Formats: sequence, structure tokens, C-alpha cells
Amino acid sequence: MGVGVLTLPRELAEQAGTDGWMVIIISWFLATMASLIIIQIMKKYPNGTILDLLTHYFGKWIGRVATIIFALYFALLANVIFIREALFIQAWILPRTEVYVLILLLSIPSYQIARKNINILGRYSEFVFFMTLWTIIIYLIPLKYAHWLHLFPVLKEGWLPILTTVKTSIFSFLGFEIAFFLYPFLQKKEKASMGVVIANTLSLLAFLMVTIGAFIFYSPDEITIYNEPTIEMLKVLEFKFIERLEIVFFSFYLFVISTTVLPFMFMTVFCTSQLVGKQDYSKHLACFLLIEFAVVVLFPPSFDENTHLQQVIEKAGIILAFAFPLCLWGYVWVHGLFKRRAIK
Amino acid sequence: MLFFRRYNQKPSSSRQLNNSLHQGLVSSELMDNIAEIQSIFCDTPDLIVRYLVIKQTQSQAALIYLNGITDSKTIFNHVLNPLLFEDSKDNSEADLKVSLGHIKETNTWPQIESAILNGECVLFVDKRTEAFIYDTSNFPKRPIEDTEIESSLNGPHVGFTETGNDNVALIRNHIHNRELKIKEMIVGERGKSKLFILYLADVVNPEVLKELENRIQKIDVDSIINAGVLAEYIEDHPYSPFPQLLLTERPDFASSEILQGRIVTVVDRSPNVIIGPVTFDSFFKTTDDYSSRWMVASFIRLMRYFGFFMAIFLPATYIAIISFHFEVIPLKLLLSLGASRERIPFPPYIEAFIMELTLEMLREAGIRLPTKIGQTVGIVGGIVIGQAAVDAGIVSNIMVIVVALTAVASFIIPNYEMGSAIRIIRFPMMILASLFGFVGLTVGLMILLGHFIALESLGTPYGSPIAPLRFPDWKDVFMRFPQWAINKRPLSTKAIQMIKANSNRPKGDKQ
Repeated sequence: MGVGVLTLPRELAEQAGTDGWMVIIISWFLATMASLIIIQIMKKYPNGTILDLLTHYFGKWIGRVATIIFALYFALLANVIFIREALFIQAWILPRTEVYVLILLLSIPSYQIARKNINILGRYSEFVFFMTLWTIIIYLIPLKYAHWLHLFPVLKEGWLPILTTVKTSIFSFLGFEIAFFLYPFLQKKEKASMGVVIANTLSLLAFLMVTIGAFIFYSPDEITIYNEPTIEMLKVLEFKFIERLEIVFFSFYLFVISTTVLPFMFMTVFCTSQLVGKQDYSKHLACFLLIEFAVVVLFPPSFDENTHLQQVIEKAGIILAFAFPLCLWGYVWVHGLFKRRAIK
Repeated sequence: MLFFRRYNQKPSSSRQLNNSLHQGLVSSELMDNIAEIQSIFCDTPDLIVRYLVIKQTQSQAALIYLNGITDSKTIFNHVLNPLLFEDSKDNSEADLKVSLGHIKETNTWPQIESAILNGECVLFVDKRTEAFIYDTSNFPKRPIEDTEIESSLNGPHVGFTETGNDNVALIRNHIHNRELKIKEMIVGERGKSKLFILYLADVVNPEVLKELENRIQKIDVDSIINAGVLAEYIEDHPYSPFPQLLLTERPDFASSEILQGRIVTVVDRSPNVIIGPVTFDSFFKTTDDYSSRWMVASFIRLMRYFGFFMAIFLPATYIAIISFHFEVIPLKLLLSLGASRERIPFPPYIEAFIMELTLEMLREAGIRLPTKIGQTVGIVGGIVIGQAAVDAGIVSNIMVIVVALTAVASFIIPNYEMGSAIRIIRFPMMILASLFGFVGLTVGLMILLGHFIALESLGTPYGSPIAPLRFPDWKDVFMRFPQWAINKRPLSTKAIQMIKANSNRPKGDKQ
């Protein structure tokens, strides 16, 4: 749940037409499966992160390589979302402010929240979740202009466009692979599987609501015109005391985006500090944010570039969050089988 | 050369205390002891040495005390009178007839010295190698009066005073239980401030108590003048604007917090006691909340939280809207805003800063001045300056309304420290809003939130029932549920005994 949801309805509509909502369900199913597999793997080595597990099974060097890969992956993910966040702010609220100034501004709370430990991050996400619940109600108001007919006919172009779009919407579900790292910190490990299923389902509900909402609000052709149909929808809202609600709404939405980008940032510095062997995240985080800032100053980002990068990360995400757990699960399973035989 | 040497004497950079002298024992010669006392207390005109002959044993003796901090009536009636005139039948040397409760014997000089400084009087008897210490202390003190800052409508009108023992007694008055334990500690090398740590032994979490004691023991200063000084030494995050320990002058509030499983530290010579560990919501509660009807109390509490946000964000939101997002407000309101801002030469943030700073100055002036002049300052400042500034075209009408509303909102926070914290936070928010509009506000709130959830009070999470989320505690946060519904202590205190009441009520709607 983050920046993806703003553009998701358009991307889905472009590729799969109004059947896009089915794509989300398929992605949800895949994501839930993958996260359950991750939990299964982590059960074999409950007191360490995935990095410890890899070191345990494959030795020190593979472990290190994996740490670097994960660090790069999370850094890229954080980077994509972080820059996109700034780009959205520029596009919607502050058109005359430079992106690097916004990055600098957003770095302050990011540094403050993500440098401590996982508990603080958890508390923050929890708080923001409850704080932003009311936005759902606001979102339901424009639906009085909606036409359910836009959704029909179902499956007008067959299954193929739906299946090919899955990889787009997967990006929005990415993030569950953090379970690899969070598992040792859990206190009630038996509830982990339940937890990831609930988490994924919550995202599913949010995505479904937003996507179907956008699909029935716009006509199938109109929806592809707007860049961010999700916010555009709110433009019709007008109260007696406040107009142009989407500006207020979007400012508030920054909280939701921050709960996506901060865990990725934390994971990046978690990996790098593991690499160096220190438990001090703040310096690493400061470095990361400085690099981020330098990158933005040197190569001013644009939406196209960012989208391109997003496609790269989508592929990496599919490998790391879907293929990798599956292979690892197979390996761990086979390994366990052999070990048991050896003991006999 | 001498001249230079004199000026080369620099102030010593390390703290030295003249403690190591007079380590010997009391001698059996009376005159030696008197000489020793006079060498310890030279330049002490209030030292009284009274020579006497004890009637019971017919021996020479001397009574020594400091005038002013001892109760002269007690000394005359209960020490001097029996010694001089009473003659009991059994002529034993061991006990002298003195009609006092608290009597000690000692033969070491440091103990004698501290006894005299504590207002006790010391009796030396010739041919005896011990001195008798009689507790006759009576430091100047103020009677128990109504509270000044935390006033209450229908709560008790009793406030703490500057005497530690009285303050402990005021709390004991509320809790007649032997589990109410009192630990005495002494902090400060010169001031020797007495601290009393009060808690319920079967309720409080021992780790939290240990943490508090450790922190107090680590303090090494000349003197703790006030409870606020101690709080600043032992709090978790000194760089935070939020107070993390609660100072109160109400014995009923302090006792109710002890009953919740918290720890109260009474500092001698301070009219405030320190409550810890506290959570953010403790600063929004008053004892009146519990003595008024629960719906009313809940409404007032909700208003306080609303006031909290208003006091922080209202001027900032105004600035953000006027300088960035004027399209957000409806057209009619925008027109009247524009009309009122038409003559104003400044951008909104300068306007806001002028008014906010004026108001802060007025508030501070009102506190420091005597009450009668303070009111005049309020009228002159608030009404005259405000009206004149609008007429002169320096600030707009709406800005005056915004600033006044903010001030009122910040004053409904019952705790003064928290109210001041809010007033400070408002300014960075205004700067952020003037630079980035709503985005600045959001980032400001994010920073505030990030700071808030990381705060701790004596090692327990500060934002407790809100972040981390603990729904059972919500019965007494934003709403106050009826008394019989709150039958558990808050989780944030980490109390080892959670249940504090039985939930069945004697009479209800259905009975």
C-alpha cells in the first residue's frame, strides 16, 4: 500500500481493460502463497533472519552475497518509492519546488523514524494505519457518481491480458518478503502465518476498493487519460467548509506512503549494517539518505525514468519474492530429508 | 611576585568538599568537645551553647543547637526543663530523663555535625564519651494551603507544601496501607536534599523502581533545589520538548497515581512531587475528571485533545492555506479573508510570528508580575494592542482570531509543562508550513509522531495506549468510562497486580 495505488487503476486499465480487478485477486493469491512459503522456510531457523539462514546452509560467502543482493534490492525499492513520493508531491501540491528540496524535507522524518529499531517502525505503521482509516469513508463519497455498468462485460478479452498484467500489480504487493527479516523478531511465532494472510488481505481489500471504485467512476476510455485516477476522483468532492479536498487528502496520504518506504529503508540499512557487523543503523541511514539526495541532485528524476526503474524492480521483485523462496523452500526441504536419513 | 601569585590562583576546576575533617570520636572531657564544636562551626552566630548541670546526676553538661531551625518551646519544655529540675528515684547513669520521642546516641563527629545542621540539639555530658541527639527540628515552613496552579472545582483543596515530611503525610492520608513503602534517599553534596520514593510494594513493577533508584543514585550535584531539577536529571530524553515525568502539587492526584502502580518521588523543600513512569495521556487528566459525571468528563477530555492539535497546528494551517492552498477554502470565505488581508503588507507567516510572539510575551509578563498589575497587562496587551494592530493594518482580523483561539486552546491543557511544550512546537510547525504548505505540515506531524513513539518514561513507552496500541487501556484515555468499568490498572505502568477493583456495581440501570 503506497505510491503504487495511485496509478494502479490506470495501469491495470491500460493493459487489461476493466477486468483489471481480477488481476489484483490473482496477485493477492500469489503474494499470500509466497509469504506462507517464506514463513515455512523461516520456521526451520526461527532465531535468525534469512541472512543467518543462508549462512547456516550455504556458508559465509553465499550469506554475504545474499546480504549485498538484498541490500541493493531494498535500496532500489526504497529509492523508487521515495523519489516517486517526491515527484507526486511536486506534481500535485508544490509544482514550483525542486525535487531535491522535497527529498531533503522527507529525509528528516525518515531518518528519525527508521534509525532506531523495528519496534518503533511497527508502532509507527500501526498508528498510521488507524489514523488513516477515515480516508476510506471519504473515498466512498464520489461513488455516488459511479456506474456499475462500466465493469461489464466480464472477461471481454479473455484471460490472456489478465495474466500478463499480473506482474504490474505484483509491485503493489511487494513488501511481504520483509517477513524473511521480521520473523526472528516476532514474539508469537505461531501467529505469523495468520498475520501475513491478514496483511495481504487488507492490502487486497484496499486495492480492490480503489480499483473498482476508479473503474466504475470513470468510463473505460477515460480512465487511461489521467495519470493518477485515484486522486483525480476526489476532485469532485466539495463540502461547505472545504473545497479541493484532494490536496488535503494527498498531504495526508504521505503518511501511508511513508509506512511503505520506511520499512524498505530500514531493511536496507539492516542489511548493510549486518554486512559491516555493527548494530548501529543511524549512520548507515544517514549515508543512504545522503546518497539518495546526491543522486536526485545529479540526475533530476522524472516520471518516465522512475517508471522505467519500477519495471526493473518489478522483475527483481518477482525473482526475490517469488522464485527465490520457492527454490529455497525446495532446498531446505530436501536438505532436511537427507539429514534425517543421515541420522538414521 | 606575590602580587602575581595572588592573581594566579584560579578557581578550582574540580569540586572539593570540606568533609574530611573531624573524623575523631567524642572525648570524655566536656571542654574539649565544646572546643571541637566551635572549631567546626566557626562564623556561625546562630549556634547556641547552653551550659547546665544535670540535676539527676549532678554532672556538667552542654546543650548545643542552631537557633531558628529548632523549636525553642520543645527545647525549653522537654529538654532543658527535665534535665534541670527533675530528679528521679533510680539514679542510673544510662538514661537521662527527657520527654521526647526521638532520641539518638552517637560518638562520631560527622553525625553530630549533620544532626546540628538538621535542627536537632546535641547534649554533651562531662565524663561521657557519647553525645545525645534530640530531635527538636522546626524549619520555617508554610501552612498547608489551596493549590495554586492545578486548581480544582470539586476535588480537595489541599496542596503540597515545601516540607517533605508533610507531603509524605498528605499522601499517607489518602492511602492507609502498609504496602505503601517509602524509601528515603539523600541527594546533593551540599544541599543534602531528602527524597522520599513512595510506591505500593505489591503493585509496582520492581524493575521500574530499580531504574528510578539507579538514576537518582547516579546524580552527583551540590544541591537539588526543586523537583523540576531532579526531573531533568533523571528523565529519559532531555532533548525532547515533551515532559516525561509529571510534576504535580495535588496530593489526591499523586495518591491516585500511586494506586495505579506508579511511583511518586517527594523532594524535600519543593511543593511539587514527581510522578513516574507516566504516559502522554497522563498530562491530559485531572482529578476533576473522576469526580464529575463520566459523560461530561469524557467530553472535556476530548476537547483537551482537540485543543492540543489546535494549539499546534491552527496557525500553521492558516499560514499554509493563505500562502499555498487558498483554493482549498470555499470562495465566500476566501473573499472575506482577502478583504481582511487587503491592507496587510506582510506575508502571513511574518504576521503570524508577530502576533504569536506578542502573545507569548504577554503571557510571561502576566505570570511574573504581581496579580493586580498582571491583569492590567493582559487588558492592555490583549485588547488594546490587538485592536490597534488591526486598525493600523499590521495584522489582519482573522490572524488575531487565529492567535487568540490558539492561545485558548493551549490553556485548556491541564498540565502547565505540557502546555508550554505545545507552545514551543507551534513555531517550527509555522516555519514548515510557510515553506512547504500542507506537505510541510504533514512532514511536521510525521516528525512529531516519530519522536512521540520513540519516547520513553523510566523505560516504559510514553505513548502507551496509543502507540504501541493497547486497547484495554483506552477506557481511560480519550473517554473516561464509568468508574465501575475501569477495574484494571493501565498496562503502561507494568504493574505486577493488574486488577484494582471488582467490576460488579451495587446498583445499575437494570436492577
